[in-house]
Amino acid sequence: MSPRNVGAVMRKEFNHIVRDPRSLILAFIIPLSLILLFGYALSLDVENVRTVIVDHDRTRESRDLVRHLASSPYFRVQGHLESTAEVSVVLDSGTAAVGVIIPPGYGRDITADRSSPIQVLVDASDPNFSNITLGYLTAFINTYNQRLLLKFLDKNGMPAIEPPVDGRIRVWFNEDLQSRKFIIPGIIAVIIMIAGAMLTSLVIAREYEAGTMETIRSLPLTAVEFLLGKAVPYFFIAMTNVLIAVLLGQVLFDVVMKAEFSLMMAASSLYICVALALGLLISTVTRSQLLANQGAILLTYLPSLLLSDFVFPVTNLPRVLQLISSIVPATYYIEILNGIYLKDVGFALLWKDFAVMVLMLAVLSGLSLFILRREGL
Amino acid sequence: MTPSSDDAILVQDLVKRFGEFEAVKGITFSVRRGEIFGLLGSNGSGKSTTIRMLCGIIAPTSGRARVAGYDIESQSEEVKHSIGYMSQKFSLYEDLTPFENIRFFLGLYNVDRSRWKERMEWVLETARITEVKDRLTRDLPQGWRQRLALGCALLHRPEILFLDEPTSGVDPVTRRHFWGFIRELSEQGITVFVTTHYMDEAENCDRIVMIDLGTIVAQGSPAQIIREVCPGSEGADLNEAFITLMARSAP
Amino acid sequence: MSWVRIRELVRKEFIILFRDERNRRVLVMAPIIMILVFGYVVNYDVKDIRVAVVDQSRTRESRDLIDAFDGNRTFRVVEQSADQDDMERSLLEGRVDMVLRIPPDMASRIRKGKAAPVQILVDGSVSNMASMRIAHTATVLNDYNQTMIRRRAGRTMEYGHVDARVRTWYNPTMDSKNFFVPAIVAFVIMLISLLLTSIAVIREREQGTLEQLIVSPLRPVEMILGKTIPYIVISLVQMTLVTILAKYWFSIPIAGSLFLMFTATCLFLLSTLGVGLFISTVSSTQQQAMMTTFFFILPFFMLSGFIFPIDNMPVVVQWLTYLNPLRFFLMILRGIFLKGIGFNILWPQYLALVVLGTALFAGAVARFRKRLD
Repeated sequence: MSPRNVGAVMRKEFNHIVRDPRSLILAFIIPLSLILLFGYALSLDVENVRTVIVDHDRTRESRDLVRHLASSPYFRVQGHLESTAEVSVVLDSGTAAVGVIIPPGYGRDITADRSSPIQVLVDASDPNFSNITLGYLTAFINTYNQRLLLKFLDKNGMPAIEPPVDGRIRVWFNEDLQSRKFIIPGIIAVIIMIAGAMLTSLVIAREYEAGTMETIRSLPLTAVEFLLGKAVPYFFIAMTNVLIAVLLGQVLFDVVMKAEFSLMMAASSLYICVALALGLLISTVTRSQLLANQGAILLTYLPSLLLSDFVFPVTNLPRVLQLISSIVPATYYIEILNGIYLKDVGFALLWKDFAVMVLMLAVLSGLSLFILRREGL
Repeated sequence: MTPSSDDAILVQDLVKRFGEFEAVKGITFSVRRGEIFGLLGSNGSGKSTTIRMLCGIIAPTSGRARVAGYDIESQSEEVKHSIGYMSQKFSLYEDLTPFENIRFFLGLYNVDRSRWKERMEWVLETARITEVKDRLTRDLPQGWRQRLALGCALLHRPEILFLDEPTSGVDPVTRRHFWGFIRELSEQGITVFVTTHYMDEAENCDRIVMIDLGTIVAQGSPAQIIREVCPGSEGADLNEAFITLMARSAP
Repeated sequence: MSWVRIRELVRKEFIILFRDERNRRVLVMAPIIMILVFGYVVNYDVKDIRVAVVDQSRTRESRDLIDAFDGNRTFRVVEQSADQDDMERSLLEGRVDMVLRIPPDMASRIRKGKAAPVQILVDGSVSNMASMRIAHTATVLNDYNQTMIRRRAGRTMEYGHVDARVRTWYNPTMDSKNFFVPAIVAFVIMLISLLLTSIAVIREREQGTLEQLIVSPLRPVEMILGKTIPYIVISLVQMTLVTILAKYWFSIPIAGSLFLMFTATCLFLLSTLGVGLFISTVSSTQQQAMMTTFFFILPFFMLSGFIFPIDNMPVVVQWLTYLNPLRFFLMILRGIFLKGIGFNILWPQYLALVVLGTALFAGAVARFRKRLD
């Protein structure tokens, strides 16, 4: 392998990139806007659930319940309505998500030591939202009933009962339960796929479409030199993107790495190489820019978003998709990222993920080399 | 220059600028009805820019032109109905068969439905591609595709036919056949406007305008130009005249 | 305007599109694959919470607590050990989702009527899933406490308490696919109409056929109709296909009117075709068009409420979403699919689609000049 040949291919590819400034700018703007979007705007966490109340009872007891609900950080009482029909209108139009209906006789039941049913309507269209909201609701009712029990015991001169088990729940790795703490590292994996695989998927197809592959074949250039020269410029683009993402995450959104920076760089370099190898392989196989682009979206972007345990838990997937997930490179990179960003684990725990990625790199670039060699390069 | 009803094309002080670069620097000429008119020049002389302005593909920076009696800027729709155009790059649909291409252009030019069959057969026969009409155009040899393109440009019986470097990349036999066909069209009263940089071909033209760096350097019939540019040299041809002119205009 | 011209343009567009077998396959397979993948992958159902238990008490009380978790459908005790460090390592390596540590004095405290602290460590990495797991954990603990209190008192304590009867509307089983599959209908339509329209124009430019069209008497409006009608037809066919899959494969009930859905789709297409045409006017190569398309689709997708709720966004970003046609189309689709609501409630969304669609399409048409320069 001659460094000079690699340099020549690299320069040519670099010129291509620079001459199409829009693609280059997009290669940076898309990742940047992703980070900003996820940092500022997008979150899966639920708070301030918009709630409306219908109080048919209008007693001290019902007002006490509403007051406690309104003071919970999870619910925001938006107003009082007159009837269930009105609740159904606001739920239909989506202006509120929860309706609490207190029936007449609620206060009477409570003072008479009877259980009193209240009706809660939840807009359950969005399963993420409604699951979490139901959790908040259950927790709220449990705590409120605990209060009522203490009042009851106090009223009857009985000693207060402590709950037998007091669950001290502690959250590890993402103590404040903020979705951006895991989405921002995860998005780095997606960005690398965009900047790495999607851009490179076009570069060899372009040579085939323009007919310049013939010329390249006639040159004293080996397949290794050709692939390396094609890959290096995109490696730097992807790496710059990673650094921007890391920096923005840290400065703007307080998403801070817990483990070594060098480990992060090592993992990212390896993953970028896997992404580039995948992009180049797609390019070599399809030989058409349109198909390569579609292929890249289908094989790199979507799997790294959907099948990598990023937002959607792999354990929820059907068996077949779980298997596919285990051959998606992003699965391993995201595991490393979670380890580095959230858990502070070292190489000792992550070496398996590194090993799998090295293996993938070897297989993918081996395939590209094989195809190109067969072509006579 | 006074407009006369004999003029198919009238060009006056036509200028085209691309940013800083002035591709056509104010040219004036006219083309008479029914003649074969050649616009000659080397690559980058401005002849393609001129033909593209006359066909309405690009707008002139300044100046005026009338094609078939219509102003190219204010009456571009009328102009388009009266002209046929064949570009130097093959510009029919390669994913369609000749039959489908012809049908498409028949519809595009709103040719009366009752005449579709007749026009279709006419094109297939004149272009001699009847037996391949259901093959993909992409798979046809270059010369055949060129004939199909010419046929499509004549589907709607235009008054004026614009040909931009029609014979580039075509073998000598086909080329001769092609010029015979152009002559026939001209006899039927169709005005033919052709650009080329092959000087031997230009001898087929009734009249010629030679341009260089966006300005006209000579015009007249081929014989006239040879006489004027190379006086006294027996047996001189257009090629020689052209080279002499180029040498003269070079700084 | 000549209908013959438009008809021939449309015919040509269809022939070219369907002649290539790979194109045919992409047009049919892409939406099917997308709906299958999304239908199965996008899933927030909380099931199979893996628990590691450190039982330092080893009493009937502690075993009851462990059973309370293990007996619950959602939880699965996968590891048990006396060594807390071991379990914490399991959490670190992601083998379990939570660790339950029962202290040695648990039983004795309970017997004395005092609260016994039980330590629960939850992997909070994926915060929304963690929130759901915590809620489930709290419910199990509460149920356990109720049982214990009853057992100690020897009878049910009758006191005035709230009995919340929760009804989950629109998606009673809280099934993720009911929420996401209708949205995929929208996404498929957007992707196809946006990308194919811009590519269709640019291919003409790249192959030089656009020039031939320009010298013909074809008018811009005919050109635009000829280029958009095929993709309107394809989008509507794909919508039908995806809707059939949604109803019969994923058994998602369609509560509302199909006619309203169809109208909304047409209005939505006005916007996407407008953007597609716009992209074709600002790109000169297919690569540029594809990158630019991607650049448009990304914010459309992210800021639509598809996955990330709009309510969670900062107010400024929420304003931005009002410029996003996909946002309104999704509200309509989900409203029709899940809520079965009609025009009387959805009219503001329809109005928004009309306004956005007209503006985007008119803007694109104005840019879409017939001349090449």
